[in-house]
Amino acid sequence: MPYHLFKCSECIPEREKHAVVKAEGEDLSFCLPLGYLNTIPGSISERGCAFCGAKHVIGTPMKDVIHLCHGPVGCTYDTWQTKRYISDDGNFQLKYTFASDMKEKHVVFGAEDQLRKSILEAFKAFPHIKRMTIYQTCASALIGDDMNALAQEIMEEMPDVDIFVCNSPGFAGPSQSGGHHKINIAWINQKVGTVEPKITSRYVINYVGDYNIQGDAEVMVDYFRRMGIQVLSIFTGNGRYDDLRGMHKAHLNVLECARSAEYICNELRIRYGIPRLDIDGFGFEMLNESLMKIGLFFGLEKEAQAIIDTETARWKPELDWYAKRIKGIKVCLWPGGSKLWHWAHIIEKEMGLDVVSIYSKFGHQGDFEKGIARAKKGTLAIDDPNELEAVEAMEEWAPDIIFTGVRPGEVAKKLRVPYLNAHAYHNGPYKGYEGWVRFARDIYNAVYSPIYQLSGLDISRDDFPLDQGFKTQRLISNPEIKDENGERQYSGQYDCVTPLRSKEYPPYPEPLSKAI
Amino acid sequence: MPCEIMEKERTGIINPIFTCQPCGAQYASIGIKDCIGIVHGGQGCVMFVRLLFAQHFKDNFEIASSSVHEDGAVFGAIDRVEEAVDVLLMRYPEVKVVPIISTCATEVIGDDIDGVVNKLNSGLLKQKYADRDVHLIPIHTPSFVGSMISGYDVALRDFVIHFAEKTKPSGKLNLITGWVNPGDVTALKHLLAEMNVAATVLFEIESFDSPLMPDKSGKSHGSTTIDDLKNTANALGTIALNRYEGGKAAKYLHDKFDLPTVIGPTPIGIRNTDIFLKNVSKLTGQPIPSSLVQERGIAIDALTDLTHMFFADKKVAIYGNPDLVIGLAQFCLDLEMKPILLLLGDDNSGYATDSRLLEMTEKVDFDMQIITNADLWDLDGRLKRKEIELDLILGHSKGRWAAIDNKVPLTRVGFPTYDRAGLYRHPVLGYAGAIWLAEEMANTLFVDMEYKNKKEWILNVW
Amino acid sequence: MEDKLTVQVEQIIDYIMRKCLWQFHSRAWDRERQNTEILAKTTQILCGETPDTQNSADRCYWVDAEMMSRGFKREFLWMAELDKDQIKTLMEKVKLRLDFLTIHGSLNRELTDPKY
Repeated sequence: MPYHLFKCSECIPEREKHAVVKAEGEDLSFCLPLGYLNTIPGSISERGCAFCGAKHVIGTPMKDVIHLCHGPVGCTYDTWQTKRYISDDGNFQLKYTFASDMKEKHVVFGAEDQLRKSILEAFKAFPHIKRMTIYQTCASALIGDDMNALAQEIMEEMPDVDIFVCNSPGFAGPSQSGGHHKINIAWINQKVGTVEPKITSRYVINYVGDYNIQGDAEVMVDYFRRMGIQVLSIFTGNGRYDDLRGMHKAHLNVLECARSAEYICNELRIRYGIPRLDIDGFGFEMLNESLMKIGLFFGLEKEAQAIIDTETARWKPELDWYAKRIKGIKVCLWPGGSKLWHWAHIIEKEMGLDVVSIYSKFGHQGDFEKGIARAKKGTLAIDDPNELEAVEAMEEWAPDIIFTGVRPGEVAKKLRVPYLNAHAYHNGPYKGYEGWVRFARDIYNAVYSPIYQLSGLDISRDDFPLDQGFKTQRLISNPEIKDENGERQYSGQYDCVTPLRSKEYPPYPEPLSKAI
Repeated sequence: MPCEIMEKERTGIINPIFTCQPCGAQYASIGIKDCIGIVHGGQGCVMFVRLLFAQHFKDNFEIASSSVHEDGAVFGAIDRVEEAVDVLLMRYPEVKVVPIISTCATEVIGDDIDGVVNKLNSGLLKQKYADRDVHLIPIHTPSFVGSMISGYDVALRDFVIHFAEKTKPSGKLNLITGWVNPGDVTALKHLLAEMNVAATVLFEIESFDSPLMPDKSGKSHGSTTIDDLKNTANALGTIALNRYEGGKAAKYLHDKFDLPTVIGPTPIGIRNTDIFLKNVSKLTGQPIPSSLVQERGIAIDALTDLTHMFFADKKVAIYGNPDLVIGLAQFCLDLEMKPILLLLGDDNSGYATDSRLLEMTEKVDFDMQIITNADLWDLDGRLKRKEIELDLILGHSKGRWAAIDNKVPLTRVGFPTYDRAGLYRHPVLGYAGAIWLAEEMANTLFVDMEYKNKKEWILNVW
Repeated sequence: MEDKLTVQVEQIIDYIMRKCLWQFHSRAWDRERQNTEILAKTTQILCGETPDTQNSADRCYWVDAEMMSRGFKREFLWMAELDKDQIKTLMEKVKLRLDFLTIHGSLNRELTDPKY
């Protein structure tokens, strides 16, 4: 069998079916870990809760919204300032978080009045913000406050405001993924179709499942805009609340992170007949194909090709410079869900990396299907690895670098394995052509950092030369590598996103009276 | 009245100063050696707290969750605690101390963590782990009561109640530090060493700052042992530096074992450190040595360079852990600064009668507001509405946007300080802390002068 | 001959698995629809026929089919040698294999969840 039981988990044998090693000749009918099942208590999993999946991941990237949690203050505090989901107009969504501050007396007597006052105060404090999302938490779910009714009442009293209610308490599912699901469905049920958007182009999409990590979504929207496509809404990175109420008027849903946002695309397909097109914004080849697919859909092939040509000419020599040098580097890929499959294959193909293991914190079996389909044989796949398993796998599969979150990254640090932040990036964005070069550069700078040479030295025992001087990353990687084809190091700016915001574009092609 | 204590005028919270009780209990638990807590609730209650610790210390700390899911919330989840204890003990053979930390969810559904500890003690632990010294300690920290501050206070008390055991006098002093950084513990232990005083430090957290070793053995953890905790009952006395973080444990030891006890003041700044040393001297009979007179002199020298030239009349706002805020305000007053706004981020009823705050209401001669149950909007909003003008803010990283957007320099202090490198390594306590704080504040002001071209040329001849 | 066909089917399956996402929608009925529509259009394109792209659903299937067909022609030079019947036979087998891998033989327990 392909299953792998870690030594540290022999006493919890149910973990066996959560890890597989892809072997020669084994396909998905044979090799797939279990996923999205309840966590084993006490196993020290990395998973978060359904509240954070709803509020933190999908809710708060919406930029013109007061995000208010109905519950004790901790849920709010904890899901604030731990993401790099930026916006193009001042980052209100990063800077401000709101709570109804539920206390013991409210648990006994109800907290609706407390919530009402909190809502009114929040609108009063920020009079220019007219949209709000209220998030349920474990405590408010258990005491049973009727948030929907209250939101309705307030909207009637204050006709210029609109409130979205997200009932996704922390316990609602095995992981944050439960919250992704709940907020997707709640949004389409409550809000889609309540605003008629202004259609300004012949070609209209929703860009779904991108949270604008360090500007990812802005990079992608720049390409779409250059093709003449109107991005009606972004779900939800740098997204506007009212734009997202008008999702039903797009011609196409372009879906990036299917893990967190396929639900709304599926529902939009069934309810409004908008087709769902899954794309990959990571990697030159995948991005080329993605842009071309959108181009084909709208008859904008030439426009897509123009972007592909321009961007490839500009950035490919820089990608290649790094790819030559990071070739063969062994990678452990430990993202939340979708980067498992977005990255598994293309970092091997375009950067020459060797992906030895793919883990997911909250992925479902569908994510492992995609990831394992793209992985080569010998790859270890783990669903919800706990801390001991992660360490054991790191020793056995011996990656040179791990792409994961802040805290597991600290575990890796002590094992002298460099980490890159897979959730928030080191020096992102990583999407787009330039972003892909930035990713390669971050990998290069991580694995060839002189610090890992120094950290392996035991000055009490090892003999070490005293006259070697310093070594740059290039000297550590391989100084013999020649760049005959004009390969060069990254030449972009520290901030490659802000300049996009002041860019001017030609007018959209006018909408036809009848959409295609 | 120039200085008044008042409660925040709003009901809800805009940008909280604290997180909730379970975080405090978790912070206490990581101070104990061979201890992994189990937080009984949703997974986020652990995952985000671990992330917060990792952000602050740039290191990893182990804490487990009972992973309460939907079925548990409906039908009760106490079986998840039983399973969590077993799984944890099986896989972490070194673990001896397992606090069971409750949350809002499991308190509301009424899971009986005391009952389950009794059950496990007489069942699982006897049957399966008879050869191991395992302590299960129920800690009630519903998130809708108090804040991370009271969570720390409650957890520390419960650890002491569980372990403290009268045997023979240890000759040591109990030093209950409150919520501090590793750098503070180093500074405090240095002071005690100079005085030749042996102490049991709750908690020994210098080892939070762990090395990256060639053999990969480095790991961040607390170092307070079970014996240390047991022996708290046999100390010659207790000094708790903070009233709100550790005060309950100190009081318990006093009431139960009749230990001479001093609570406060938080030794921030020269004056409070002087008092701390005098208290240590009184409790132990050890004189204050000349080496500390010298060390104090170095600190005084450093402050003298700064105080009336740069600090005098500078308006400061301070937010964060209550004892820290009060200590910092006292220090600012000694440095001729004007702490015009203090924000205490929870509804602890003790603030209204805190003698240190009352002293300010009596003696301060400028307009000063002390807000309880405050949030960061109490700072940010006042600045945005131009109700106050500030030269400097002292507080943790969660207030960074209030500082950045209002263009007021912020000296990071307290917990968490993830947006600056390595601050956990530096003390704010003791004479060393006084030097660090004053110089950090000065350098923050200097950089601000240079960025804003605010008489930056003054420093040409300093 | 059969062996050669099997190898060709596997090459195409491998291509789809590495480069495409359309075969992995979250529920069995979606996968059936996607596999049927996209592979039918792919077969049409490979046979030189023009698939229906009138409504947006068809157009979206066609987009994936068109990109894939281009890839097949680029990567699998042997494909140029096949006649229409051979292509149809090949693609029927591809469909059977893909249906097995992604639907009937899939270990994914969520495929039959009645709701999204």
